[in-house]
Amino acid sequence: MRKPPRWSFMAFLLILAVAAAGPPMLPGDPGRTMAKPFAPPAWSGGDAPPPFSGAITPASREITIDWKWDAPENLTLKGQLAFDEDSPVRLVWTTAEGGSFTLASFRGGSLWEVDLDARDMAFKTGLGIPPFASATSLLFPGRGVQTLSLEGPAPSGGSLDLALPGGRWGLLGTDQRGRDVLSLFIVGVRVSLLVGISATLLASLLGLSIGLTSGYLGGAADALIMRAVDVLLSIPVLPILMVFVGIWGKGLWQLVMILGLFSWMGTARTVRSLALSLRESCYVENLRSLGAGPWYILYRHLLPEAMPVVLAAVSLGVPGAILAEAGLSFLGLSDPRVISWGRMLHEAHGFGAFTAGAWWLIIPPGLGISLICLVFLDMGRAIEEMADPRLKGGGGR
Amino acid sequence: MIAIRDLSVTYRTAARSVPAVRGVSLEVPRGKVTAVVGESGGGKSTLVYGILRLLPPGTEMSGSIDYDGMELTRASEERMREFRWKKAALVTQGAMNSLTPVLTVGYQVAEVLRVRLGMPGGEARERALELLAMTNLPPGYAGKYPHELSGGEKQRAVISMAVACSPEFLIADEPTSALDVITQAEVIATLVRMVREKGMGLLLVTHDLPLALSISDEMAVMHEGRLVEKGTPERITAFPSHAHTRTLLSAFGVTARSGQ
Amino acid sequence: MRSYWTKRVLGAAAVLLLVIAANFFLFRIMPGDVVSTIVDPRFSPEAKERMREVFGLDLPLGRQFAVYVRRMLTFDFGISFLSQRPVWDELKSRVPNTVALLGSALVLSSALGTWLGVKAARKRGGFTEKVVLLSGSVSFSFPSFFVQLVLLLLLAYTFPLFPLRGSVSIPLPQTGTARALDYLWHLLLPAGSLVLLGFGSWAIYVRNLMVKTLGEDFILMARAKGLPEGRVLWNHAFRSALPPVLTLFLLALPGIVSGAVLTETVFSLHGVGKYLLDSIMGHDYPAAGAAFYILGLLTIASNLAADAAYALADPRIRVGGRVQS
Ligand SMILES: Nc1ncnc2c1ncn2[C@@H]1O[C@H](COP(=O)(O)OP(=O)(O)OP(=O)(O)O)[C@@H](O)[C@H]1O
Ligand SMILES: [Mg+2]
Repeated sequence: MRKPPRWSFMAFLLILAVAAAGPPMLPGDPGRTMAKPFAPPAWSGGDAPPPFSGAITPASREITIDWKWDAPENLTLKGQLAFDEDSPVRLVWTTAEGGSFTLASFRGGSLWEVDLDARDMAFKTGLGIPPFASATSLLFPGRGVQTLSLEGPAPSGGSLDLALPGGRWGLLGTDQRGRDVLSLFIVGVRVSLLVGISATLLASLLGLSIGLTSGYLGGAADALIMRAVDVLLSIPVLPILMVFVGIWGKGLWQLVMILGLFSWMGTARTVRSLALSLRESCYVENLRSLGAGPWYILYRHLLPEAMPVVLAAVSLGVPGAILAEAGLSFLGLSDPRVISWGRMLHEAHGFGAFTAGAWWLIIPPGLGISLICLVFLDMGRAIEEMADPRLKGGGGR
Repeated sequence: MIAIRDLSVTYRTAARSVPAVRGVSLEVPRGKVTAVVGESGGGKSTLVYGILRLLPPGTEMSGSIDYDGMELTRASEERMREFRWKKAALVTQGAMNSLTPVLTVGYQVAEVLRVRLGMPGGEARERALELLAMTNLPPGYAGKYPHELSGGEKQRAVISMAVACSPEFLIADEPTSALDVITQAEVIATLVRMVREKGMGLLLVTHDLPLALSISDEMAVMHEGRLVEKGTPERITAFPSHAHTRTLLSAFGVTARSGQ
Repeated sequence: MRSYWTKRVLGAAAVLLLVIAANFFLFRIMPGDVVSTIVDPRFSPEAKERMREVFGLDLPLGRQFAVYVRRMLTFDFGISFLSQRPVWDELKSRVPNTVALLGSALVLSSALGTWLGVKAARKRGGFTEKVVLLSGSVSFSFPSFFVQLVLLLLLAYTFPLFPLRGSVSIPLPQTGTARALDYLWHLLLPAGSLVLLGFGSWAIYVRNLMVKTLGEDFILMARAKGLPEGRVLWNHAFRSALPPVLTLFLLALPGIVSGAVLTETVFSLHGVGKYLLDSIMGHDYPAAGAAFYILGLLTIASNLAADAAYALADPRIRVGGRVQS
């Protein structure tokens, strides 16, 4: 009977696909401000406006906004319009209560470039309000239909885009800087995978070579190495990592090096005992009596025997590296320019997700980390079972 | 008397079921030595643990075990606990491993007295020393841990414990299999002395046919879960009725008259 | 017995020396001038002079190390760059908080884990066993700080039963009892979350050990003696499994110390781990080194305590005799 492949292998492929294809498919830079800070997800309900956008084009010279909420956080107007006729044009805002404001005007010419932000000082002085007052509350005095219209000759091309950031946003809301959490989440997969896998590969390589050497040499060298392993396993790793990061710097590759340097012990131990038992086996004895050199034996026989064990150790080691990376990032000991899940949790914790009750900043990255770890754990177990069928069939032992 | 009638025991494991004892009938009278011999895997231990109902959960048991009118196969767990050790005590096969390693020998003997007989602590400790002395273990041994005792000393300590509550029956499952010949003789002598002095019934399970022949009053041969031969040692040496018995006898160099 | 202790104490001393050496060399392999990483450029000339003296910066490296070891052993850690106060004065008030967090988490999670593990071993396939296996795998793959953040969100924000941050209320309550209760109230969620995260792997480990022990001959013997089930389970089986259970303390300890550093950050506790983080963030090297050293010291001390408990629990070590392995 053919069994379906383990769920974790499928999930792993899915995660790889997201990491590879996700970020390029994102519309624009994930660092952009999309909506107001701490905007909850669009589907979460609540009485906050969704984001609004509209455009002034040659075809439509007016935008009407049926506004049913408090004044929005901001208002931006961006773009350019081309004119055939050389006469003055104005952008006029009419509020639901009948008030009228000129947002911008153009003396005349062929191309008009507009870049307005309601938070800008110039915008506020143009409206005749003090710099600390809110321009949007002037433009949205009450609920009802507000209009923005272009007065003057009709443009011949181009468009002006009006955007009002919503109080709700997207699938997973926004963070403290108004960035889209879903985009951040997708980009963050990469760091977890990258750091987790490369640090573990480094650690396994170290563990493999140290373990093989120790097991093959035996004697005093072996004893010394194993003592070192014991000692390293008995001191808490996180404080050491913190100190190292503090000294070496917070870059991604430094982190990989540091993590690799402090997680080879388990693999070394396993590989060593394997090498020891193989060294004693008659099979290797025979090879030796046939005149095979130590390197030949090591390379052609011990290494292939150790491979499945190492592969399982890699898969089982990745969660540890991912958790360590996430922990360090959570502590703020990571490059602030690199978006990672741990960093997201750090920022959520440090920049007031709690006072905003912003669960959407905490749950996605946390669950993401946990899921990746579960996937690698299960894959590691599967590989172990393939290498050693005795392990199959549940935790009886 | 413990009377076993048509007892069958089947182990159930995830993969398969093992019928270890099949339709065994046997009487174990007081004041006598009853021996069960047979090859390894023949179901002897299963029979013995069945009497005390100490088989792993899920094991099936049918037939009857009658102890002075009490049906042991259907007795409540509470009554079984009363029965164990006070009526029938066990000396197991794992001579090396039947004492709890982290408790002193004296404590383990006294524990039985305290818990099963309700003896106060001080009295139990004193009585434990007497019991150890009965099996020739000096008082200093009470404070020792099992790992400090030799195999024979351990088995003697277990025997002291077994007779602590003056049971009516002693069930010994290969009490000497892990010991050297001299120690074996010593332990067997201790056992037999206890039985004769106190009038207990001894059910002795062993591989050792010559031993069974020399000390038992009544013996049975077990083969593949069945009792294939029952009788006095004299009768069995003289007229073995089953082929397996003859194989056993000749394996031990006991010459038998073949056939009737 | 004697050799057991010599070995353990020597081992602990070796680890201690290693921690000190790591501290000494780590802060010296930093890029840049050694002096400027140890002596704050903003210090007054007198303070600089004192720091040079404390660290023996003018001596050769070997002598420097000797001086350093002596300073570490006498808790003379120099002056903090950030606060300009002696580092030990700042750390002193934090050590008890960290010890309280670590201690309560260790004791409670091991107690709960042991109890559930024993229960799971007795009833294979039962409800307890399922809970134990599930919680064990959760604690292996869920980041501790994530679980703690969720707990904080639920129990301090949505349902404000616990404080969001800090080791004590500000202002401090007036009476002694009120202060103690306030302290406990602040400790409950951090320690509780560590227990929640830690008990599962304990329970699994204890369960596996107990399953093995319950299959031993002496357990059958204890049952044959007609001892009550509770006595068989605890006095015979668990007592025998206790020494390996205690080695789990040794295995779990480094992880719990790491967890405590994260926990102190999540809950903004006034502890050594948070101090370590703040010092690293502020490039306050004397303070960071001292905090690291204190954490190492706590681990080594707990290791020794666990070794002592092991020796008490295992008569094969206590009274010598033949020790296998
Ligand atoms: N717990 C168990 N589960 C399944 N099968 C078992 C179990 N214990 C024993 N058996 C099987 O039952 C049969 C009888 O075993 P038992 O231990 O009673 O033999 P024995 O006569 O005491 O052998 P020995 O002289 O080696 O002690 C054997 O085939 C054995 O494999
Ligand atoms: Mg047997």
